[in-house]
Amino acid sequence: MENLQSLLHGFTIAITVPHLTLMVVGVLLGILVGVLPGLGAPNGVSLLLPLTFGMQPVSAIILLSSMYWGALFGGSVTSILFNIPGEPSSVATTFDGYPMARDGRPTTALATAFGSAAFGALVGVILITFLASWVAQVALAFGPPEYFAVYFLAFASFIGMGGAAPIKTLVALAIGFAIAAIGIDTVSGSVRLTMGIDELVKGVSFVVAVMGLFGIGELLIAVEEEFHARAVSSRVDWKEVFRALGRLPHHGVALLRSAAIGCWMGITPGGPTAASFMSYGIAKRFSRNGSRFGTGEAEGIVAPETADHAAGTSALLPMLSLGIPGSATAAVMMGGLMIWGLNPGPMLFVDQKDFVWGLIASMYVGNIVAVVLVLLTVPVFAALMRIPFAVIAPLIVIICVVGAYSVSNSYLDIVLMLGFGVFGYLFKKLHYPLAPLVLAIVIGDKAEDAFRQAMLMSKGSLGIFFANRLVTTLVLAGIALLLLPLALQIVRLLRKTDEAAHEKVRII
Amino acid sequence: MKIVSKLLLSTTLLLLGGALPATAAWKPQKPIEFVATAGPGGGTDNLARAVQSIITKYKLTDQPVVVVNKGGGSGAEGYVYGKASAGDPYKVIFGTSNAWQQPLVSKVAFNYTDLTPIAAMAQDEFLLWVKQDAPYKTAGDFLKAAAASEFKMGGAQSKDTDEVLTRMIEKVAKVRFTYIPFKSGAEAAVQLAGGHIDAHVNNPSESLGQWRGSTQRPLCAFSAKRLPQGPKVTTSEGWSDVPTCVEQGLAISQYEQPRTVWLPGKVSPEQTAFYVDLMKQVQATPEWKEYIEKTSQVDTFLTGKAFDDFIKQDLEHVKQVAGEQGWLVK
Amino acid sequence: MISRRALEITAAALTGIFGVAVIVSSIDNGIGWSSAGVDAGTFPFLTGVIIVLGSLYNLGQGALGRGTLAIVRTAVTSSELRRLAGLFVPAAIFVAVIPLVGMYLASAGYVFAVLAFPRRQSVLRALVIAAATPLALYVVFERMFQVSLPHGALATAFGF
Repeated sequence: MENLQSLLHGFTIAITVPHLTLMVVGVLLGILVGVLPGLGAPNGVSLLLPLTFGMQPVSAIILLSSMYWGALFGGSVTSILFNIPGEPSSVATTFDGYPMARDGRPTTALATAFGSAAFGALVGVILITFLASWVAQVALAFGPPEYFAVYFLAFASFIGMGGAAPIKTLVALAIGFAIAAIGIDTVSGSVRLTMGIDELVKGVSFVVAVMGLFGIGELLIAVEEEFHARAVSSRVDWKEVFRALGRLPHHGVALLRSAAIGCWMGITPGGPTAASFMSYGIAKRFSRNGSRFGTGEAEGIVAPETADHAAGTSALLPMLSLGIPGSATAAVMMGGLMIWGLNPGPMLFVDQKDFVWGLIASMYVGNIVAVVLVLLTVPVFAALMRIPFAVIAPLIVIICVVGAYSVSNSYLDIVLMLGFGVFGYLFKKLHYPLAPLVLAIVIGDKAEDAFRQAMLMSKGSLGIFFANRLVTTLVLAGIALLLLPLALQIVRLLRKTDEAAHEKVRII
Repeated sequence: MKIVSKLLLSTTLLLLGGALPATAAWKPQKPIEFVATAGPGGGTDNLARAVQSIITKYKLTDQPVVVVNKGGGSGAEGYVYGKASAGDPYKVIFGTSNAWQQPLVSKVAFNYTDLTPIAAMAQDEFLLWVKQDAPYKTAGDFLKAAAASEFKMGGAQSKDTDEVLTRMIEKVAKVRFTYIPFKSGAEAAVQLAGGHIDAHVNNPSESLGQWRGSTQRPLCAFSAKRLPQGPKVTTSEGWSDVPTCVEQGLAISQYEQPRTVWLPGKVSPEQTAFYVDLMKQVQATPEWKEYIEKTSQVDTFLTGKAFDDFIKQDLEHVKQVAGEQGWLVK
Repeated sequence: MISRRALEITAAALTGIFGVAVIVSSIDNGIGWSSAGVDAGTFPFLTGVIIVLGSLYNLGQGALGRGTLAIVRTAVTSSELRRLAGLFVPAAIFVAVIPLVGMYLASAGYVFAVLAFPRRQSVLRALVIAAATPLALYVVFERMFQVSLPHGALATAFGF
């Protein structure tokens, strides 16, 4: 109950006029950087950072974290409307969000996404409020073998669920791993797979790959099919926003399950990206509507969005209590903490009560502010769908080009992005799945690092993955998830039903 | 089309502030780009942003300063970018000793000679850290235990400063470590708190929070004399209470990591002089002192020949360690 | 007109070439798994092998006209190809001229060209959008978020 008292005290700090103003400003800026692909929360936060040096630490962190919430929400907008994920963690949102928007229901898709995201964030904050110290202890139990097991689990829960040909899936996955390996290798310090292009030493950024594969690739498919988004009614339809929100409780199970996956992956090293993919994969497998996933199913938006935000929120916890940033944005904020004279780590909760509880209280308030503001913008964003294709297409190309460039101010990235676009088109056309490729680009090198660190510790023996209960459980759960579709396939073969073969499955 | 481009050109001209008349001493005529060879939030990034905010606050130059992160490839991205910008005095590269150490041990497409050295502005110290409840009280105890079984030593990156220091300890104390590279010192610190590794050699700022929170403690500092006295970190101890490693019988008297500032190659001496002077002005401000203190670094300013000598000396040293370990690239 | 078979073969050949490149450059990094850990090239080498083998399989399937999409004979018709080129070629030209004239002029020119020439939009409207685009880019990126977009060799020549 001590926590509850501290939280109430925190609210008295967070709910003041200057702090509420800061939240609104932060959230609005955050939505802007979130919506623009290439610019992300880390950019926005690091730009605001110097401005905060003269502020009270608690005001500064409220501004920066509000920006973070705004960016998390904003990141889903372009995923849903244009199939361009602004952040790695919103890739899974495109799978059902984009088909739904194309189907003439962008308002529903956006409102569903924001509603479930807010729910996920809320669960994350509640977790931080009441279980902070326990959670910090859990996170400490994760060493390299456990890290690897978590990544393995994320892969296992996602792979094998798309409708694509197995060998094509395997090729896509392997290409993703190879792309992730480009650049300097952490474990050996050597340069890998740059193929004679010196600049590639920096690696291939996820954003560049995804904007090409998804953004440009989808544009090419759309122009080829002479596709035009179904007309969206020109009236601002507030009723539809509320209807979509009202339908959320129907997905109660998915909401709770996704929030749990999100919190867990946010605290352990998985992070928001692994969380959203895993949550989508598991939802597809266990949902009654699983077979319709990928065609604009609401639950396919609920699952990744809830998990993404639950993870994004709870990722702040390891930062505060352990000093490990759970995401790139958290890393920037941590730099800020040090400059404000605070030291992230176990003592922060004891030394800086006002700061910590002010921040936690602001997470509740800030998320409410964010969801209200972002819902207000839904009709505006939905209206973007009414711009004629001939006008929006070149603008999307420019957004992708500028986005790719702004990742690290490199012209090479623009060229790479365009190349990825051609590949994205080709792969989509020939039913190579893109999702495993993207997942491998995002967490492939982390999984490899963890595996090789574990091998250094164990002197090359795989026994380390069965050395304690935690890691053994994770690995076994991963193997089980990996074998599940295979087992189902065999059962289906035995029964000789081929209903699945005739279903129209969208290759993701 | 023509009208548009003309209009655009003139608006850009206006917005960029127009051209200033040239004077004898070189002055920047357009925005300056600070290239941090680290991701957002890293030590080098924080330094670049601190310098940026001081310059902006005191209006040390008329032109805006923009910080750009190019931390890919352990910083190689930023240095390669600097090399490619030869002759461009509007790119200032912020790095570490990586600039000369990395080309020794991996096939990166730059060398420090491709850049123009400006200054080394701050030094990070290194300490030997163990878990709070570890049985060793001194570095001597630790090394005795390390001789009996092979300890796991964590650190940031591979064949970089942390591993070089680890290998130096191995040689001086005649022990064997398993070195496990992580992405950053902060990650190594958490791994130590969780008991997955036995020790690491983090900088003060990377483990400050952990020390305060009693999850790990420093055994000794790799410096010639004790660290300067500052505010107490724990209830009873501060940085100056940490003995030097030499005191405890681990004969590595000095090991530190400088934060370095560079211009691309082929810039004029006047341009170099402008930035040396600019950094000197930054260093004289109270904000700089505050930044140094809060990040637990040591204030230094090496430029010109002193900086060159420092690089040469460090290079010899790293070459020796790298040669013994078989890391040198052909 | 491009047949599906040709497209499958092209894709498999491209992935296969990538796989070979991965194998070749990972051998440089060393392959091995010993008590001293796993060498840097090991995993890339394995992924390279998987890519090459998988590509060979896909190549065979494509050439024989088997696989999931076997019923579809034609992948891209000539009118589809024209539309694809209509989008991609101007985009590629836009990207190609960025180093020369910079992002702002290139984007303005690109927008104007694709809007005005197919005569879908009035010239005036195209002009307005073409002028607004770089202006918006400048305000958002260069001013608000301090991302300096490429100004191009032309701007450098004029002393920017």
